[in-house]
Amino acid sequence: MSDAVVELEGVWKVFGSRAAEAMSAIRAEGIGKPEVLERYDAVVGVKDASFSVGEGEIFCLMGLSGSGKSTLVRHINRLIEPTAGTIRILGEDIGQMRTEPLRALRATKIGMVFQNMALLPHRSVRDNIGFALELRGMDAYHRAQLADVALEKVSLHGYGDRLPSELSGGMQQRVGLARALAADPEILLMDEPFSALDPLIRRNLQDEFLGLSANLKKTTVFITHDLDEAIRMGDRIGIMKDGEIVQIGTAEDIVTAPADDYVADFVAGISRLKLVSAAKIMVPPGAFEAQHGPLDLARDHPVARPEDDLDRLVELSTHADLPVLIKAEDKVLGVVDKNTLLHGLQGSSTE
Amino acid sequence: MSIAQGTGAEQRITDDRDVSVGAFTGSEERYFSHAFEHIQRGDLPRWHLNLPALLVPWFWAAFRGVWLMFWIALAVDVIAVTCLMQVVKFAPLLAEAEANPAENTVLIERYSRWIATYGTAGAIIFVAGRLWLASSANRWYYAQYTRWRIRPEVSSGTSTRRVVLAALIMALVVPLTTYRATQQRLDERACLKQIRSVEELGKMLAASGAADAAALRAGLAAQAETLAGERAAIDALAERTQAQKARRAAIRKELRGVNRDIRTIDEVAGISLKDRFDCWFIDDFPTLARIEPPADVIYRRVPDEAAIAAGDTGATMVLREVKPPVEGRVVNIFTYSAESIDISINYLRASFAGIFDAMTHVLRQSLILVETAFMQTPWPVIAFLFIALSWAYTGPGTTLFVASSLGFLAVFELWQVAMQTMALVVVATGLCVIIGLPVGIWMAKNKWARWITEPILDVMQTIPSLSYLVPAVAFFGISQPPAVIATVVFAMPPMIKLTALGILQVPETTKEAAMAFGASERQLLTKVELPMAVPSIMAGLNQTIMLALSMATISAFIGAEGLGAIVTAALGDAQAGKGLLAGIAIALVAMMIDRILKGIRASFSRI
Repeated sequence: MSDAVVELEGVWKVFGSRAAEAMSAIRAEGIGKPEVLERYDAVVGVKDASFSVGEGEIFCLMGLSGSGKSTLVRHINRLIEPTAGTIRILGEDIGQMRTEPLRALRATKIGMVFQNMALLPHRSVRDNIGFALELRGMDAYHRAQLADVALEKVSLHGYGDRLPSELSGGMQQRVGLARALAADPEILLMDEPFSALDPLIRRNLQDEFLGLSANLKKTTVFITHDLDEAIRMGDRIGIMKDGEIVQIGTAEDIVTAPADDYVADFVAGISRLKLVSAAKIMVPPGAFEAQHGPLDLARDHPVARPEDDLDRLVELSTHADLPVLIKAEDKVLGVVDKNTLLHGLQGSSTE
Repeated sequence: MSIAQGTGAEQRITDDRDVSVGAFTGSEERYFSHAFEHIQRGDLPRWHLNLPALLVPWFWAAFRGVWLMFWIALAVDVIAVTCLMQVVKFAPLLAEAEANPAENTVLIERYSRWIATYGTAGAIIFVAGRLWLASSANRWYYAQYTRWRIRPEVSSGTSTRRVVLAALIMALVVPLTTYRATQQRLDERACLKQIRSVEELGKMLAASGAADAAALRAGLAAQAETLAGERAAIDALAERTQAQKARRAAIRKELRGVNRDIRTIDEVAGISLKDRFDCWFIDDFPTLARIEPPADVIYRRVPDEAAIAAGDTGATMVLREVKPPVEGRVVNIFTYSAESIDISINYLRASFAGIFDAMTHVLRQSLILVETAFMQTPWPVIAFLFIALSWAYTGPGTTLFVASSLGFLAVFELWQVAMQTMALVVVATGLCVIIGLPVGIWMAKNKWARWITEPILDVMQTIPSLSYLVPAVAFFGISQPPAVIATVVFAMPPMIKLTALGILQVPETTKEAAMAFGASERQLLTKVELPMAVPSIMAGLNQTIMLALSMATISAFIGAEGLGAIVTAALGDAQAGKGLLAGIAIALVAMMIDRILKGIRASFSRI
């Protein structure tokens, strides 16, 4: 992708004092993780990760604890130095950057939100939000104005003079988000931002963030260990396992065509109602007629479009006995009867 | 779940435990799994005894690797044996006393009482100790088993090597201790005399060139005989000339020397092996090394006549004088080192007089400045400031306390003296902050700095202040300046340590967040770490002030003025009342400062 905002290519991270040796051994001999640990006392944190995120896209990195997703995301603003590989932000290779431009990049182009908020306890909410601006040397007057704008965005208007400790967990995380947004960066890195919150507030904040994101068009890398959250938030999802990205795709891709057993296991419990589209399960009219006899198009068949989800098909089917016709531009592309629909919901094939 | 499955699971658990008990104990698995099960059930009776642990507790413990029990068993038995040995020690004395019962009634009564007491105590300790060990052995072994299950490196199984090790330990400890228990307390001078005689004999042998002590003694005896003969010849004369008289006196003197040497040789010959052994291994560590003392050098700074003649009026130079050594003086290592340090201090003081004088000058001037501020400000102003500060930053209770403390100082006419103390504390605390804050930051940021400063800080805190007052006086003269130095040394460690602690305990994630928003190292320190360390730094400041005040008395020993001087004077004159009142005044000053600072801290703190 040429217009990628964030682009990672073959990024490796090996932890340990002999990381460089371990890296060249991995390159030369292709040794595995246990061997790296045994021979070089080094741990492979990220293994050959490549992905790119386009402008305004929300890219979710999903994996269990210890799968290396937090390590990987810290490469994007070079809080962690990669052992190998290149990282390009807005087309610029940040591995080559010197300290000062890198700090400028962090302060102006990349905002980051942390799982544990990591707010400064001795500063007011407003001063916390203006922190990145202050680091760039902006004066207090303009800082306060921008901070109040950011507070407005996260619906915390009027809380600027409170201390973080006076706010609830959900509000603190909104402050964290406002802090990331204050400098109006192009890129947002969200490291499990909502994981520490209770489910109701989490859902609330997810919706709010989606709304914000739709308006602000920030390129976002969103880390989560919760597949439901990844599916809700992500335009695309990358699934990580043991430091490796095992599959990248849309939620529907991942649910309908898992790359391996690990991913399949993961998505097994996911409700397909809102994920899978009619196009994925419909039977072509010819095949349907071969099995069930000719369709009488004159009868009052319920009609859906190919991109409608299973939820919609279920709703249509419950109000009619006849199979649903999937039509686009007045052309019947396929048929979904109740049997097909049930199989589609379960994720098994019709046969 | 059916009952059959439940039993199966229970069976498996039991089997697992048996396997692990077997792996742990190495032998006697059945016995121990039985015992352990009862311990787990909580129904092992107290009178359950482990037979080997009753008979040979130390060997059993070592064999099984229960080292704690080994040491306890050894201690119990050694205590018992020591008690019993007192009987052996006093029995001959009793017998001696009983040879003459009429004169020694008190002694007989005392010795019999001691023998009875020690004998009974020893027996009770031995029997009760063994019973306790035997009944506790399996419980301790079980405790070790549970530790082993968590950490497999805990010793397990049985081992002959451990038994050998235990035997070696006991061979080192038991015979010597037992023997010591049978002996009277040694006469320390006897040992010193012994060492001197041996040393002297060595010298004599070296001087005379005789093959051994016996040959030397024979030579000396012959010489004594000749001398005695000559004296007898002179004595036999009816009339003696002046020369003969002188000769006689010389002979007498020589004879005395020879006889002394013979006595020394006899003494050395008379030292029994037992005496030697006792002096070397019982009681004190034998003083081994006797070395020549360092050359007695004195460094003095004197006017440099040559330079003065050349026109430089204030010129001085360091004069190095060496005193002739005292003939034959040998010292031990302690004295040698102490004298060397004295000489070094002398040298430093003389060579770098300029630097020390400059430091003293700066300290004295700043003290005078602060003292003037405190002492020459009219008392109503100072009192008002204190009360106003406490009113503004603390509650009415503290304000009342501050007002009454000030009243105490005023009524007892301690006002000016207290202000002097306050000035000393302010200057010392200021220095502590100026030095301590950067060092604390450095310590937090650098692992090696921590490595170096931590032991130094421990020494600064624990070394008795009286022991560095002397060098402080040597370098900075007497009165206030060395007192400030001593106070700084004593009061600075908490400032440094708590600054470092405050910075170190800033959460890693907070620092990471600051970095993610583009903070530089410097911004990280000034905008994140230091502000978040403020509570800890303030606690350090508080500690520093308290310690500085507690040094007020000590520094009075080297002439520092203030409340401490009253306490020291009262100590010298045994005036309890005076000392107590001044001591209370110090405590009140400390508490006033503490409360006001706490109030200020609380009203500014946001964390």
